[in-house]
Amino acid sequence: MTNRRRVLPALALVLTLCCALQPVWGQNGSANSISIPFETYKLPNGLTVILSVDHAVPTVAVNVWYHVGSKNEMPGRTGFAHLFEHVMFTGSGHIPYGTHDKLTEGVGGSNNGSTTNDRTNYYETIPSNYLESALWLESDRMGFLLDTLDLEKLNAQREVVKNERRQSYDNQPYGRVSEILAAAMYPKGHPYSWPVIGSMTDLSEASQEDVKAFFRLYYAPNNATLGVVGDFDPVIAKKLIARYFTDLPQGKTVERPSVALGKLEMSKRLVYEDAVQVPRLYIQWPTVGFKRDDDYPLSVMSSILSGSRTARLTKALVYDSQLASQVGAFQNSAEDVGVFQVTVVPRPEHTLTELEAAVDQVIQKFIAEGPTAEELQKAKSGLELSFLRALESNLGKANQLISGSMFYGNPGQFRTDYQKTLAVTAADVKRVAAMYLVRSRIVLSVVPKGKKDKASKAPESETVTMLPATPGGRS
Amino acid sequence: MNRQRPHIAFATALLITLASVASLAQQPLDRTKAPTPGANPKLTVPAWTTQQLSNGATLIVSQRRGLPLVSFNITLVGGSNQFEPAGKRGVAALTASMLTEGTKSKTGDQLSDALQLLGTNINAGVGGEEGSIGFVSTRKNFDATLAILADMMLNSTFPADALDRLRARTLVNLTQAKDQPVAIGGQVFAKILYGADHPYGQRTTEASVKAITRDDVVAFSKTYFQPGRAIITVVGDVTPLSAKASVEKGLAAWTKGGEKPAFDYTKLPELQTAKIYLVDKPGAAQSVFNIGLPGPPRNTPDYFAIQVMNTILGGMFQSRLNANIREQKGYSYGVNSGFTYGKGPGAFRAGGSIFSGKTDAALVEFMKELNGIVGERPITDEEIKVAKDSLIQSLPQRFASVNATSNAITSLVVQGLPNDYYQTYANNIAAVTKEDLMRVAKRYVDIKHLAIVIVGDRAKIEEPLKATGIAPITHIDIEGNPVSGGSAPSSSN
Repeated sequence: MTNRRRVLPALALVLTLCCALQPVWGQNGSANSISIPFETYKLPNGLTVILSVDHAVPTVAVNVWYHVGSKNEMPGRTGFAHLFEHVMFTGSGHIPYGTHDKLTEGVGGSNNGSTTNDRTNYYETIPSNYLESALWLESDRMGFLLDTLDLEKLNAQREVVKNERRQSYDNQPYGRVSEILAAAMYPKGHPYSWPVIGSMTDLSEASQEDVKAFFRLYYAPNNATLGVVGDFDPVIAKKLIARYFTDLPQGKTVERPSVALGKLEMSKRLVYEDAVQVPRLYIQWPTVGFKRDDDYPLSVMSSILSGSRTARLTKALVYDSQLASQVGAFQNSAEDVGVFQVTVVPRPEHTLTELEAAVDQVIQKFIAEGPTAEELQKAKSGLELSFLRALESNLGKANQLISGSMFYGNPGQFRTDYQKTLAVTAADVKRVAAMYLVRSRIVLSVVPKGKKDKASKAPESETVTMLPATPGGRS
Repeated sequence: MNRQRPHIAFATALLITLASVASLAQQPLDRTKAPTPGANPKLTVPAWTTQQLSNGATLIVSQRRGLPLVSFNITLVGGSNQFEPAGKRGVAALTASMLTEGTKSKTGDQLSDALQLLGTNINAGVGGEEGSIGFVSTRKNFDATLAILADMMLNSTFPADALDRLRARTLVNLTQAKDQPVAIGGQVFAKILYGADHPYGQRTTEASVKAITRDDVVAFSKTYFQPGRAIITVVGDVTPLSAKASVEKGLAAWTKGGEKPAFDYTKLPELQTAKIYLVDKPGAAQSVFNIGLPGPPRNTPDYFAIQVMNTILGGMFQSRLNANIREQKGYSYGVNSGFTYGKGPGAFRAGGSIFSGKTDAALVEFMKELNGIVGERPITDEEIKVAKDSLIQSLPQRFASVNATSNAITSLVVQGLPNDYYQTYANNIAAVTKEDLMRVAKRYVDIKHLAIVIVGDRAKIEEPLKATGIAPITHIDIEGNPVSGGSAPSSSN
């Protein structure tokens, strides 16, 4: 996920090790405590609206999702969806640049946007008396962004995004791993084969015409969902939403071509030299996206394999053999595709070759025997608490409701997710382990510069070369 | 005050309704006009009770209805700066980690399994001036989780092999931090500002971690986890009565001892005239900036004026620094400024990650904005209004969850602030004058004594930085020590 503002470095580190794009599946517990009251409807122009009232704190979250992400980009224009996200903060037809921040952060609230492979979102959290302001801001950029867009604005944000790329990827140890893995997992031209942040060259190429065409197709109300969650009167909110959004014209229907799951004909063994002192091992298997039911047992499997000290990989590698200082396993799923990834940080005296063998040994055993009843129970026991804690945040609730609506046509999908996760059996987990963790896979070793011999099975590993971070400021 | 709350909330709702209806009546819609907001919602600060437990700990309880959640936290006043012996930096963090490694009756695995089945996690950590151990649980698992916490805090066995494993992990983390330009920048900045003798300038090193023995850990644990310096905060689906009963029972074995430490810090090194401290990071795509100097402690009477001043300078997205360096110039993904507050002289710092090719230009802009806030670019009434509104109206967010509420209440006690701090916050911010802002800017953004620490590719940035003429350049390594000779690029890796 790529943001307009910064992600805290600490958070970014946690993400790379454990759970990058995993959807929030920490969904509830006792069946009666799981509830987010909401109502949903559509405006005549196709805009989906979801309202959920909560008076606990006098604030409101306004959140708009557009069903467009980096997978909708064309090769040669990668990074475009996210660059566009930045452009959305530069002012619109009736609202000058700067007003947006003033009416959110400047009144004690906040705003941000984020882009994934699948969707782009924009939100404001504001004191409840600024609800109308937020609807005014969101409707104006949904309807009138292009009225004031010019090359100068585009170029300024292009430089900011290039700096985001430098900061979060190029100048970051292990920062290019996700890019390398995506390019290796999917065939050239596959919509998930490039990173959300895009390439430096492509970012330089994006033209004003590209921006306009992209906006007209994807930023129409019929491709968007508006969520309002928090301290407000729903009768008034509905009137205000009608007032600000009804006259925005409906756009063309967005085609959604089916996207092939990742599939490797043969396993790939790669080595990448980075400005690091500690090597790392990454293993990835192609799995399924979050709309397939196998995503539930795969997610449960991830918390049986890592996360607690008695999880299988953690116990074996970090505690018993002590080959590793850290290990993480997670099912990273998007709308159409998914991967199961294991990441290992070695202790200095141990090699990546040893670590790979140790990971394989744990996984072979797990495939053969499946989880115990207690492992399964432990993996599910945290669901209630994490769901209840998510209910404390207006923004978190809005994201859950909108995500369900956009990807499943059901804002109440969180409930289904919860039930399906609780229903996962030991046999389900054993089945997905035996089905996915035996597939052809990618083994990537990241090693210090000049130390390719430190790769796992170095002689069989193919060297990955990445273009260096392209220099060149704005012209 | 509690009794008034529903009344105020009702009045606010009515005002909003009236304002919004007024706007709805306007026809047709004029999109060029920003909607007029209704009156600001009244702040409702949660109420809490304070009790003294028989073991000397302070118990704070705040009841919060709604969700069946409880946040429990023991905060210990004083941290690694007060309790770590010389040469043993890191023993506090290692001890906190060791609490999960086993007790007299349970192995580390058994503790972990028990917590997983309760669906929660106990977090322990010790910072520079305070430490904490706590959790958030469902109401029904509160007592059972508290029992495990008590066992970990009071009966840990600190196995030697676990210490070796955690030490090894810490050493790997320290090695990884050497590749991380942002981590290097932060460490070097602290070392330059405070020197090696001041606790604020010290950090955990390979040598200090290697020097820590099991005896050190046991001794630290015995000395540190004492009720005489503890504030126990319970927020959520509990009453003061039920919480007290649970805590008295759960922590019955925690007997009297300890007291709050004095926060006597050694004198700061003499302020140096402004200098650029350059740490070489060959091939770096960005230069990491940390610019600043030691500032005031949290109890400074200038606190509110500083908050408003900093919000204008670099506390928000549209603050002067980010509006210029990111939004107008495009040199960075984001820059900001802030004050670190504690019992001692926390730092004023401005900085961010800058595209290597614009390192010199960005420094010129940083200096322009810092000089601006101290007088070259007068602060406008509009800037003051936005900064004050932003600070005052963000207050409700501090009570948005059980955990946030717990932190908000506890910090008052730890920092010695008055009980009505949040109720009087708006008035204190509102009372700040333009003259106050000028005065605190001049005093704390002390241009003549800024340390300008830049981690970046020396071969690319040194000459352009020199050409700015802003300050002389000193070369230092990633530990903050001078690089001998200072002419040949160092190889820090």
